[in-house]
Amino acid sequence: MKDKVTTLRQAVAMVNDGDVVALQNMATQAAPMALVRELIRQQKTGIGLVVLVGGMAVDWLATAGVIDRLIGAAVTMEQFGLCQQYRRAVEGGRIRVEELSESLLNARLGAGARNLPFLPTRGAIGTDLIALNPDNLKLIDDPFGGDPVLACRALVPDVALVHAHRADRFGNIQYEPTAIWPDIGIMPKAARRVLVTVEEIVDTDVLRRNPDRTILPGFIVDAVVEVPYGAHPTSFFPNYGYDAVFHRRWTEVARDDAQAKDFIDRHVLGPASQAHYLDVAGGAAALQRIADWEEGV
Amino acid sequence: MSTDWRNSPPSTNYSVDELMVTVLAEQFQDGDQACNGMASFIPVAAFMLARATHAPEMVWLASSVGLEPRPKRIPASTLEAPLWRDSVMYLEQYGDFWTYVLNGRWIGKFCVGAAQLDQYGNANNSIIGSDYHAPTVRLPGTAGLADLCSIGKQLYYWNPNHSPRSLVEKVDFISGAGYLDGGDSRERLGLSGGPQIVVSNLAVMDFHPDSKRMRLLSVHPGHTVEEVQAATGFELLLPADGVGETQAPTQEQVRLIRQVIDPDGMRKRDLRRR
Repeated sequence: MKDKVTTLRQAVAMVNDGDVVALQNMATQAAPMALVRELIRQQKTGIGLVVLVGGMAVDWLATAGVIDRLIGAAVTMEQFGLCQQYRRAVEGGRIRVEELSESLLNARLGAGARNLPFLPTRGAIGTDLIALNPDNLKLIDDPFGGDPVLACRALVPDVALVHAHRADRFGNIQYEPTAIWPDIGIMPKAARRVLVTVEEIVDTDVLRRNPDRTILPGFIVDAVVEVPYGAHPTSFFPNYGYDAVFHRRWTEVARDDAQAKDFIDRHVLGPASQAHYLDVAGGAAALQRIADWEEGV
Repeated sequence: MSTDWRNSPPSTNYSVDELMVTVLAEQFQDGDQACNGMASFIPVAAFMLARATHAPEMVWLASSVGLEPRPKRIPASTLEAPLWRDSVMYLEQYGDFWTYVLNGRWIGKFCVGAAQLDQYGNANNSIIGSDYHAPTVRLPGTAGLADLCSIGKQLYYWNPNHSPRSLVEKVDFISGAGYLDGGDSRERLGLSGGPQIVVSNLAVMDFHPDSKRMRLLSVHPGHTVEEVQAATGFELLLPADGVGETQAPTQEQVRLIRQVIDPDGMRKRDLRRR
């Protein structure tokens, strides 16, 4: 088996300007934030982002001008409110949105993963999402005589970005029992290249103890990078909760373009390593707070 | 399970969030399966109240992830892990959760919050404005709403900010299909189910069985029909037998909400939003 271990820099070098990049994320949960920061550091441009429910990652990518289109079901930081930088970029015409419901995105990615032209669903029939998106959504007759169904065209992202609990150096990826977000279930299987950060890289024998927890085989993974707290400030169950203090700090500056850029300079462009980033983000006190899921009890 | 909740006398010091919780709780019975999404404190409180009182066998899928959880209290997020504490099962979000939902046999009722709702129960969480690609306000997006509204479910809207801005004659964008243009327009697309009631901070509405227009069912104690009409962006139908008064929560329901289910008052966050 091929060794897939690399650095953030080399992994993200596999992303080209203009690529369609699928991002694991559910509001305040489970985003591969270290990979997102590296996209910004490498000044990628013209990226089309695919995301189920994007959170702070989308806001940062909007601030940095990395993305110019988004395919997804929602963008919100839940209790921390709308993503203001993203919102302004859409309102100003700098990001174009292809809005899909959850089952439509699932169908598009599912068709991509299975090499089908489309998959049908009954979701979203009657909504304005269909007229908005004639290139990818078509109401068709059921060939077996039932009610019409919505054909959702295959979506094949160029790259999928994922954060997971552990991997071996061959890119076999393990995930702890938890909400296995759609990003993990289907997104990496639809994408041409898969880049994964993990909390820890372990010996293959560790994976053999619980092979049922291996959710992606190494043969679909292109790069693995060990990044402890790689999902911070989003939560990564069961390891750590979301960083509410950090989210609030971002929401305080996100309404102001200059302050938002300063925040990115300080937290994304400044720190030279993950350890340095975590220091700037709040250090040991922050890590203790999220380890205790303090904000959510 | 609390047995004396229904015989308990009416509360005289309840707040409107508690009234909305009790009205919504009444819609869920033993045998129902319910799930909740993000930022849904009032529905979550309603599910927990129903399970603690009249519907102990109602099934709950917290955050669409955790089956039959036992959270200590409602936490600061209705999405994050503290709500799905002590679950019997974790559902894999796409492969499992949507399979159960898209199949008409299970999970038949949903609570829906929307930035805009119109006279036929169409919902908008996508954009405010006339040009989708240059909106006045970019809202979060449809998430699972577009799916839930089109697959035969019964929909229960909650609106903690009843106003002409949130209850509009026609939504700027249909991100969840209600009764579309009214009458049989929903059925003609092959869609079953649809909006059942709207619980706001002022009143409870339902939909006329034929025209599918929104109808004022009851106003909350202390409010009037005129006030509710003035706060609505279109003409509400009035039932032939008159508009009732929404039943106040009992003292025991209020005690359960305040002391057991949501001592931190997270449900009040829904009222502050937009």
